[in-house]
Amino acid sequence: MEFGISIIFLILLYASPIAAVKESSEFNEELYVRPMANGLVNTFFQFTTRWHYGDRENLHNTQLIPRPIAETLLLYDVKELHIGLTQGLWRYETYGYPVMDNAPGAEVRAWFAGENLTSTDVDDQWVKLASTFSGILCASLNFIDKTNSVEPKYSFRPQFVTGSKANIPQFVRYASLPREIVCTENLTPWKKLLPCNSKQGFASLLNSGHVHNTNYHSLGMKMRTICESYNKNCILEFTETANMVYDPKLLGTNGDFSLRRLFGQGLNGHCALAKSSKIYVNLDDQPYDLTPTPMYNVTSRRGGSTTTLGVYDIQRLDEDKFFNIAWINKKTKANVQITPTPPLYAHRYILGHGQERGQILTQITNKHYAALPIVLQENIPWFVPSYMHTLKLIVQPENGAEYTIKPRVMHYIPGVQRLRPYHLELLFEIPALSTVQISFDFDYIFLKWLEYPPDANHGHYLGSAIITTQLPMGRNYTAIPVDKHLFADSFNASRSSYFLEIRTESLILSLPTPDFSMPYNVICLACTVVALAFGPIHSVATKRIVVEQKDAQPQSLKGKVMQKLFRRKQNKTDTNTNKAEAHAETVFGHSIADVKQ
Amino acid sequence: MGLLSDPSLTPRGKFGRTLAKHSGKISLFFYIAGLAWFVCLSHPEFSHGTYLSENALSPGLVDPEIGQDSVRLAQTLYEELQRERTDHKSTTPHAWIAAKMHQIGLETHVHNFTLRYPFSAGKEYHGKNVYGILRAPRISSTEGVVYTAPYRAVNSVHTDITASVPMLLAFADFARKKNYWAKDLVFLVTEQEQLGMHAWLEAYHEGGIKDSPILRCGNLPARAGALQAALNLEIQDLDIDYIDVKIEGLNGQLPNLDMFNLVQRLTSRSGLSSGYKHTPRKKRRSNRDSLEDNLRHMVEMLKSQATGVPNGNHGLFHRYRIESLTLEAVKRTTNTNNSNRYGTALSLLKTVEGISRSLNNLLERFHQSYFFYILVQNDRFVSIGDYMPCLIALASPMFIKAFLLWLTTTSADDAAPEEEDTATHEERLPMHLPYISVLLYMVAALLLGFFCNTLPYSQHVRDYFNSMGVSTQWSVGLILAAQVLLGILLPLFYTLPEAGLELLHIGVLIFTGVALIVTGLLNFALGFILAVIISPVTILLQSEHVNGLRQKLTCIYTFLLNPMVVIYLLVLWLTLFEFPELALKDMAVRAISASLDAITYGLMDSIIYGNWLYTAIAAIYFPLWILYWTLALGRKSYAVTVDKKLN
Repeated sequence: MEFGISIIFLILLYASPIAAVKESSEFNEELYVRPMANGLVNTFFQFTTRWHYGDRENLHNTQLIPRPIAETLLLYDVKELHIGLTQGLWRYETYGYPVMDNAPGAEVRAWFAGENLTSTDVDDQWVKLASTFSGILCASLNFIDKTNSVEPKYSFRPQFVTGSKANIPQFVRYASLPREIVCTENLTPWKKLLPCNSKQGFASLLNSGHVHNTNYHSLGMKMRTICESYNKNCILEFTETANMVYDPKLLGTNGDFSLRRLFGQGLNGHCALAKSSKIYVNLDDQPYDLTPTPMYNVTSRRGGSTTTLGVYDIQRLDEDKFFNIAWINKKTKANVQITPTPPLYAHRYILGHGQERGQILTQITNKHYAALPIVLQENIPWFVPSYMHTLKLIVQPENGAEYTIKPRVMHYIPGVQRLRPYHLELLFEIPALSTVQISFDFDYIFLKWLEYPPDANHGHYLGSAIITTQLPMGRNYTAIPVDKHLFADSFNASRSSYFLEIRTESLILSLPTPDFSMPYNVICLACTVVALAFGPIHSVATKRIVVEQKDAQPQSLKGKVMQKLFRRKQNKTDTNTNKAEAHAETVFGHSIADVKQ
Repeated sequence: MGLLSDPSLTPRGKFGRTLAKHSGKISLFFYIAGLAWFVCLSHPEFSHGTYLSENALSPGLVDPEIGQDSVRLAQTLYEELQRERTDHKSTTPHAWIAAKMHQIGLETHVHNFTLRYPFSAGKEYHGKNVYGILRAPRISSTEGVVYTAPYRAVNSVHTDITASVPMLLAFADFARKKNYWAKDLVFLVTEQEQLGMHAWLEAYHEGGIKDSPILRCGNLPARAGALQAALNLEIQDLDIDYIDVKIEGLNGQLPNLDMFNLVQRLTSRSGLSSGYKHTPRKKRRSNRDSLEDNLRHMVEMLKSQATGVPNGNHGLFHRYRIESLTLEAVKRTTNTNNSNRYGTALSLLKTVEGISRSLNNLLERFHQSYFFYILVQNDRFVSIGDYMPCLIALASPMFIKAFLLWLTTTSADDAAPEEEDTATHEERLPMHLPYISVLLYMVAALLLGFFCNTLPYSQHVRDYFNSMGVSTQWSVGLILAAQVLLGILLPLFYTLPEAGLELLHIGVLIFTGVALIVTGLLNFALGFILAVIISPVTILLQSEHVNGLRQKLTCIYTFLLNPMVVIYLLVLWLTLFEFPELALKDMAVRAISASLDAITYGLMDSIIYGNWLYTAIAAIYFPLWILYWTLALGRKSYAVTVDKKLN
């Protein structure tokens, strides 16, 4: 348990001393370009707006922060919000670690905190919050509800500060929609949240035609509040990120690239509202010559690794010309670059064949020379009934025989069909230089026919598993420290350990699917007709028909009266029956044969 | 209550009695009707024209982009590989393949597997597959399509297909430069024929967690999500005459008809002569579209399907619900003008590009069109709804005969006068029939089948024979021969009580009918062929002792139906065609060892690949044969005893 606590231990945020009560806001735009070892290029945009709004009432008058963002703070008790819209998969083994990690599809997580806040309130607010951002980003976040949301206990830690001395209840919610397809319709509203829109500054580089031609692109949005005391003297931090991986080979070049090649146009200056507009270029062992050369270089030492970055300050440039940077391959191509393997990476896949039983296997590999603490979170949808008694953790060392281990802490909330997903969190230590396979069995089930999505034979998606750990060294690590907000703050930001979040692939599961084709409909219809016909035919076939002569008139007085009464009643209720019919009925009533069994 | 208790159907009704009298004729009628139906299927009136059911597959029909530079690359790679082959006589040049894949820009991995041969003291075979994954830019590795090429070493006994790997790599190089991929492309080069493919698939889908002690396939370092389809290339040369599309998979499974149609369309568009069971141009022109040709086509398909052995690496994919087929490009043997020597290679690459683009566009798994079909021609097929009736017609005599036998048996027992109540009739019935002993007899037969299935593979038996120095083939043969001998002798050991044979007859008929229909549903070809050869016995077998000739005929036919005898005769027949120069005696001896080999291969197939032909024959059809043998023989001995009693 101690181990668990150490993982979830909150890093105290050193909220920058809030001296002036006067409200102020600043906006920074940053672009980080990192050519990767296998010829790919990673570009990372970060637009940070930091607003020292002071008290809650000031949220009504926004300047640089988009109004809907400020309003969510007024409406809900949300203190921190992360949204990721991603197309493609970040491949840790070849790309290294990203600045901001997101799972394929859409992913949302939020922290709520407030006095007298209960879990039911949060559930309600969570759905509303998701719907709000569904509208803001034109994404299907409105499909987030209780059936696909979980409440992680160990995986995430808050990055906001309420500033309160008292113990204010905090809640976290997480949901992912792996089927979500990210497209232009998400990029445009995302760009509109920026102070300069997409007309000026770095955002003008994000043209949908080029963004969606990448191997990976991920739009991120992060919002958090940092308060000195509860709801007093607060800062709202709103960060928008765009992370992309380009393949210059697909752009039709021999490996050279430039800003114009990547984004379709050069940079048309900076956003006039920005405090700083800088491009950072990774210069480590690059086989490229840069034109123009960086204005100045920065060396960052972090966790035992050194990185050199070239900096272009766009605000110092001429406004009139389009600015372009070109990376041109050096003539000497003697040394082939080898990708340094990151210390930790993970994969996930489904095993087994047939439509009866399967196995979900998560494979985490530790290439580090020391053991690492791991928190694994699995969020399994309700339509995948999993058996936790089959949960196995098998360690496969690089040299030596495999053995099983037991998780230190296990947090498991079994799913309920159509109500709640299966949520599993495991805390364990992954031994040095080894692979851990976490596997459990599940059943394939039939769904109700309305629960199949359109294109039912495409399969059902299972969201990524999230693995969090603390790395002792900073190799491959570029994330921004939790107490800072700019990308530039990650330079020389050595800490005792580095909090790392990685995600596995999302999976496609082919559940048994009925044949939703025309013959299927015909079969359904035919079966219905047969079912309807069966009743009467069965009854006719099994009942004996006995003809019984009815007496012309009932004998007793009581009988006569009853007969008259009954007839009259019938006439009254059925207004449409005309008298002639009624007459006919009385006339022919005598000879009606009773059908008796 | 069911039909059996309906008083109007007891033999007291004249109808039933008449039917029972003519049961043989009725059965014969159904048998002929079934065969006639099958012959009719070859007529165009009974088959349908193929069409693309899945519209998502059409994009491959756009203008191909692959050009002459890819052909040149294939050519250079082919020449390089030929040089590599001089250094690697019996192995695969893994390093060369991996280096080329890496150079193209694929994520390259190597997969190792080990086969521990279960017989001959656990010999070990090691193998290595090389595969490269082209990560699709438009997807998060949730789906993939596999392109495979088997590699055959120089000293392989099979046809040389060295050109497959260069073609695969040339296509990979082309695909690497395209950004429209929405499914990961896996380029896989396997070795050791189907074993390599099987090991790779097993590793992909079982991940080494459920490793069998025989085939250790370990785990794969990288995957590409749920595999949607696979294309296997067997290319003999860059100069191609025609393409043979191979579709039959493990246990007679077939790929979706849409996949076959797609390939057929694309090859014809790119001007390649291709088709199912395709033969060189000259022969084909002579007789086309004739009824006889269609029928031959259908029978050929059933023949290759019935064994359950896949006729290419594609066949192993079907078990995992991955649609796949093989393009076997056959080398041009006739000399043509040299100017357009590699024109066909370009056409083939265009076809592969078209197939890959169509598969890439698939939104859903193959689910439209047909999974069960028989190809009549390249563009005509018979669907399951049309061909199942002939199997049902072949199997129905058994049910009809069983029912009529039941009627006569009960009436024979029940000599009671007509006015007796139906209720007492029903009550008295079980008293007379020896259910227990008949059931025990059937269980004994099934037990023998069970031993046939398990003994050859049991550890102790293997060890024993191994220590004795007997070869695998002979040990398996000896075990099976012992079982067969026991089966033959079983009716002599144990004589069924009175009316037991009739009851056994009913049981056997129902058992056979059900077994045939189930087999037919799983593998139509096997079910159909078995029905064709088993049905005559059921027709010949008489419920009453009639005359000696028919009895002898039944005996002989039943004996010939013994699985071992059938295999021997088949092999002998093949030997007769393969080596006509041999003397009859040599041939007979040779056929014995060849049939033992065949049995051992069947057993291996069932152990390693999961082919259930051996299991089905040993565990179901062999016990059935014992029962038929009992009926064919037992009737005689019973008659003899009756005669003796009378005397």
